[in-house]
Amino acid sequence: MPIAMPSKAFVLSVILVKTTAAMSLNTLVGHAGQMSLGQGAFVGVGAFVAGNLAVRGLPLPIAVAGAAVAGGLVAAGTGLPSLRIRGLQVAVTTLAFGVVAEKFLFGQQWFSGGSAGLMIDRPVPFESDRAMYYVALAALGFAYWVDMRVRGTKAGRAFAAVRDSEERATSFGVEPGPSKLLAYTVSGAVAGVAGSMFIYVVGAGTPSSFDIYLSLNLVAIVIVGGVGSRIGVLASSALLLALPELVPKTIGGLNIDLGRRAPLIAAWLLVVVVVSLPGGLGSLLTRLGNRMFGSTTGSKDASTALADIDPNVIEERARAAAFIRRVPRALSLRMPSPALLEARDVCVRFGGVQALDSVSIEVRRGEVVGLIGANGAGKTTLFNVVGGFAPATGSVRFRGRELLAEADSARSGFGVARTWQQMGLLRAESIETNMLLAQHWLAAYPASLGILGFGAAGRTEAELRRRAAAAMDVFGLTELAGQRVGDLPYGLMRRAEIAAAVSAGPELLMLDEASAGISPEEARGLGDEMLALRDELELTLLVIEHHVPLIARVSDYIYCLESGKLISEGTAAQVTTDPRVVTSFLGRSATVRRAAAVALETA
Amino acid sequence: MLGYLLIGLASGAAYALMAVGIVLVYKGSKVLSFAQGEIGAFGMFLAWTLHDRGMPVALAALIGVALAGVLGIVVERYAIRPLEGRPPLAGAVVTLGIALGLTYTEGTIWGFNIKSYPSSVGSASISVGDAVLSTTNLTAMLLAGTTAAGMYFFFSRSRFGLAVLAATADPDVARVLGVPVTRVYRFAWGLGGVLSGLAAVILVPQFGALVPFHQTLFSIRALAGAIIGGLDSVQGAIVGSLIVGVAESLSRGYIGGGGITDLVVFALILSTLLVRPRGLFGARA
Repeated sequence: MPIAMPSKAFVLSVILVKTTAAMSLNTLVGHAGQMSLGQGAFVGVGAFVAGNLAVRGLPLPIAVAGAAVAGGLVAAGTGLPSLRIRGLQVAVTTLAFGVVAEKFLFGQQWFSGGSAGLMIDRPVPFESDRAMYYVALAALGFAYWVDMRVRGTKAGRAFAAVRDSEERATSFGVEPGPSKLLAYTVSGAVAGVAGSMFIYVVGAGTPSSFDIYLSLNLVAIVIVGGVGSRIGVLASSALLLALPELVPKTIGGLNIDLGRRAPLIAAWLLVVVVVSLPGGLGSLLTRLGNRMFGSTTGSKDASTALADIDPNVIEERARAAAFIRRVPRALSLRMPSPALLEARDVCVRFGGVQALDSVSIEVRRGEVVGLIGANGAGKTTLFNVVGGFAPATGSVRFRGRELLAEADSARSGFGVARTWQQMGLLRAESIETNMLLAQHWLAAYPASLGILGFGAAGRTEAELRRRAAAAMDVFGLTELAGQRVGDLPYGLMRRAEIAAAVSAGPELLMLDEASAGISPEEARGLGDEMLALRDELELTLLVIEHHVPLIARVSDYIYCLESGKLISEGTAAQVTTDPRVVTSFLGRSATVRRAAAVALETA
Repeated sequence: MLGYLLIGLASGAAYALMAVGIVLVYKGSKVLSFAQGEIGAFGMFLAWTLHDRGMPVALAALIGVALAGVLGIVVERYAIRPLEGRPPLAGAVVTLGIALGLTYTEGTIWGFNIKSYPSSVGSASISVGDAVLSTTNLTAMLLAGTTAAGMYFFFSRSRFGLAVLAATADPDVARVLGVPVTRVYRFAWGLGGVLSGLAAVILVPQFGALVPFHQTLFSIRALAGAIIGGLDSVQGAIVGSLIVGVAESLSRGYIGGGGITDLVVFALILSTLLVRPRGLFGARA
């Protein structure tokens, strides 16, 4: 963008610097769902570090890099409590840091030149306002690029998962604490870059340049722009920062002076946007764009995808299935092992409730094993024990390895995947993004370096995308790849969840009430699908089901739980006729039991 | 030593009023409010105008406190209630916007220059050891004590107090059981506003300044107190605020000013969240 009004290059540069800072905050708030109310302080740290380096004669790139490192470190330190807590208390830490920075740190003679501030001379060849304008524009471009890269790599998917639910995130193999800390670090580093630009553009920095008002105004810009929307941040910067500067102070003798009123307008606009336009300007622009150029996403009719069961693609699907199964797993996890999952004497106690009482089950390789029982019997709790979400005693071995001793997020790497009773996918994200997230453990590059494109990120991402494509192909979801999961009909949502779990290349797939909320016809199809999962994808299935005829048809072995205790086990025929099971499910009324027996035979 | 301690307890008591408001609002509507400072400040600005026009100090202050309560109710009705079902971040951000909006509105109406508002309880003082306590200090302690006792009886003895607890624990179940959840929200914000106003009545004369945003800065200390106490515990908020007040007073006395007190507050929040995230009295997450 060439400069429209060169005389305003300086003013525009300052706006670019603030927009860069807002973009850094967007990365934190929009992707990771964490809030920084002290972003201005991170900018200030970057400014003074860069200033000190510049004063000592170091070249601009080194000063900028130093500012990035300092900003990242300080932000990480401030965000440290996010390792221990999930709530918004961390926002209070950042707010308190913003005040400390302004009143204490930026007042230190050695750091910021005290209250007089720090002055630098612009180095050659950036002496002119115009030259500096292009540098500041490049910095904004960098912030935009980082935000985009975060979104498109492992780091951003982990952020999104943590934002949605920290528990689900671990089931994808994401570690919540380090992910949040990385979000703070990346955001702080970019804020530091913005700060270095400030000191070079303005030539001076004082404590009041980076006061708490700056931090709060950055929040206003991001929220008004629409959390997570890059275009929205740019639009809102234009509205809240550029417009007041560009509109003349008086028009035809009328004194309007928008500049003086801008903070007041921005603050109330923030309130109005949160209350009545949650998506901010970004969502308005997207809607406008869709209306003008036609919608690019979400136009596909979901129902067509199910119809494409062309026999010719079966061969291709078989190849795709074989492709998904190929994952780099340690030799010890690939050895022949008849018993895949062995739970011995598993006990779980929640307060006064014994949720599981000495339960032992075994799942053999290549079997479909059913887990039945009334509500509250402890079925999902057993899943949670295997997944690492419930405090249990006893032993749970997967291929002989004790799972209870492993980190929650290690499960997916061993080959255990699960679905959730209440949808384990991120509703706000596309099917493809969810597929990639499910393969988190396969993304072997470091999340931080991956943002900058190092560490084989590009190659790995391409590989993950191929795997995701194969999984979508197998499950007939290819046409819907870009659809938001939350927009899908329920049955397809379920299918997408299974597809995502399968894309991680698991050996054991645990389905938690896959038939809940779908129609009887769909449930019948689901039974065939489970058998296909076992046979074509060579998966072992552990399935929680309420729909007894369905599970009786497909299971090799069934366990029945009641009030945390195992009351029956055996083949479908044995368990469904076991009087204890019948009583547990149907009570003692003879009529009901006769009716149920008839229903079971005709199913 | 005793002097710093007592002064610290006195300012801690004023923060405690605000902190109890923060906890009440948090318990009552699950919103972490950053507006608890500026709502009271806005009431004080209105009181300042009334006093400027000749109304007696204490009466104007009382009306200011009442107006802060009304403002709390208005905020709840038009900015908080519409957010039901949205992520907690939305509530926090909206209160931040309200704090900022009120700040700039005050600046637009009354200007950003420092105004003073005299103490509503006279300016006499007594000496206790090496400490000089003003009547304002004593009033702060008295009010905080009364609030603590009032809250205790309210939550443990009154039907409506129990309704508040029920509504916070699970709004949907509470609704089914016939708890007037909407009224609970309104009540929490109204009382939160009144407490915010009372804190302003105490803090403004004590620190000699009525300036936009000043109370929001104090509210960071109250937030610190609430977090140290556990965010969902009224007595925790009071104890936490007293800790903040004393730590602040001791550090000012023995180390000096220049932002050291802010550093101490920051360190207190950070260490609480790292060492004991649920605070001193908070329920287990």
